Amino acid sequence: MQNVQDSQAAQGKARPRRPLEAWFDVRKEHIGFWAFALNRLTGLGLTLYLFLHLFTLRLLARGESQWNDFIALARSPLFLALDVVLIFGILFHGLNGIRVALVGSGIAVKEHRTLFWVLSAVGLALLVISAIAVFTT
Amino acid sequence: MTKAMTDRPAAARTRAGNPAGPLWLVQALSGFLLILVLFLHMIAHHFVVEGGLRTFDEVIAYVSNPVIFTITIIFLVVVTLHALLGLRAIILDLGLGRSAQRPVNWLLTVVGLVAIAYGIWLEITVASM
Repeated sequence: MQNVQDSQAAQGKARPRRPLEAWFDVRKEHIGFWAFALNRLTGLGLTLYLFLHLFTLRLLARGESQWNDFIALARSPLFLALDVVLIFGILFHGLNGIRVALVGSGIAVKEHRTLFWVLSAVGLALLVISAIAVFTT
Repeated sequence: MTKAMTDRPAAARTRAGNPAGPLWLVQALSGFLLILVLFLHMIAHHFVVEGGLRTFDEVIAYVSNPVIFTITIIFLVVVTLHALLGLRAIILDLGLGRSAQRPVNWLLTVVGLVAIAYGIWLEITVASM
């Protein structure tokens, strides 16, 4: 925990910028900034998807033909490509979340950079496997 | 020491983004649970299913299983909580000031409760078809 507090104190001095500007000010930014920004972007995307997904599932309550018509649409190439984008979002957000939870708890703080690249490699491998499965299953 | 990769704009650290705060712990634990449940969800609903999506009859049969029914409800509650707590951290991080916190909390609580109530209704409706 001590390490985290130290780093936060250091960040506090280094970040007098206004919150919203800080999102887009990419000067001298390091990998942690990009991970943070992409974590929020994928989080927003996944939240939007969650509500769309719940809304789409209402078709189940309308009976067999409505649901099966939707399935036919969801199997079109455009939807499959969007599925791969979705899977990227899930993989990035989930794997980065593991790293943030560990580092934020004071675990592997010094190895955070290595952890980022190891998890990125795992994510990339899973993305390729998933993309192949999406288009071949 | 070098800056750790829990980097975020200053305002977030005092709210749901603070590694020492209770909401940060909720996000970390619910996030971990979601990794497990979402992994099962993707496998069971898509990757082991012919054509990648269950047909109507297959969905009804699957959701009618009481174990699956229960897991789905837990999934619904945890994913809604995690998504809206994350959204809250982002909204409060826009620099809205303390007076905005109460209406944001209320709005997101209502959205969450409506989503969960709708999800449970749909789940029961589909399972009893």
